Amino acid sequence: MIGHEDNYMTEHDDRQIRDALKQSIPPVNTELRRDLWLDVLRKLDLHPVRVPWYDWALVGLSAAMFLVFPRLVLVFAYHL
Amino acid sequence: MDLLQRFTHGEIDAFETLVHQFQGDVYAWIVRIVRDPGVAEDLTVETLWRIYRARHQFRPDGNFGAWARRIATNLAIDHLRRNRPEQSFLAEPRGVPQADPVVERETQERIQQAFRRLPAKLQVAATLALIEELPYDEIASALGTSVGAVKLRVFRAVRILRKRLNQAGVRPE
Repeated sequence: MIGHEDNYMTEHDDRQIRDALKQSIPPVNTELRRDLWLDVLRKLDLHPVRVPWYDWALVGLSAAMFLVFPRLVLVFAYHL
Repeated sequence: MDLLQRFTHGEIDAFETLVHQFQGDVYAWIVRIVRDPGVAEDLTVETLWRIYRARHQFRPDGNFGAWARRIATNLAIDHLRRNRPEQSFLAEPRGVPQADPVVERETQERIQQAFRRLPAKLQVAATLALIEELPYDEIASALGTSVGAVKLRVFRAVRILRKRLNQAGVRPE
């Protein structure tokens, strides 16, 4: 729990640190300088959305389990 | 079918429209956090790419801008974590700061260093609240936390900064 004195110190500290930070850390221009669409598109082409290997392993394992224990299909269907 | 629905179905035209609509906002948010235009551009591209990959998780009746901003914030925080300065800030203590421009410059550099060494989550909260002076509820939404948690992070950031600056003999006036 923060008391009155701590509250005062917080506000005081806050002000001092805010002023010091504003002096020390220059403002940034938030304007985007160029269109990034082509970069995004290139990244999508370079990194096509692919299924990770462990998902394929899980699919293979499930298929094998269904072959060995066909009744598992019913259990699986029930939980879907 | 509206734009956001088409986007969730993976239509690239809809995504392109959204990129053109939101890339400026995403960039502006990220550059406020990382303070580097080049890095901010890269992280904006990364954010938009992740947005497309995660399109199935987005509900078409949701707020796309807020969702994009949260993904951008997480990426920016990861970037700050990976790029924290390793060198210890705690140099030898100095006396009372003088009006010498060289000393002032040195003081500012020490403050910048101390700030960059803050834990990433505290640094982001302090940057957005104290430097950018954004509303706490806006910061809380982007960080996926409560206003109280943001205030606590800012409070802790200020405490840590003050302690480190005192140890280094830097007294912000």
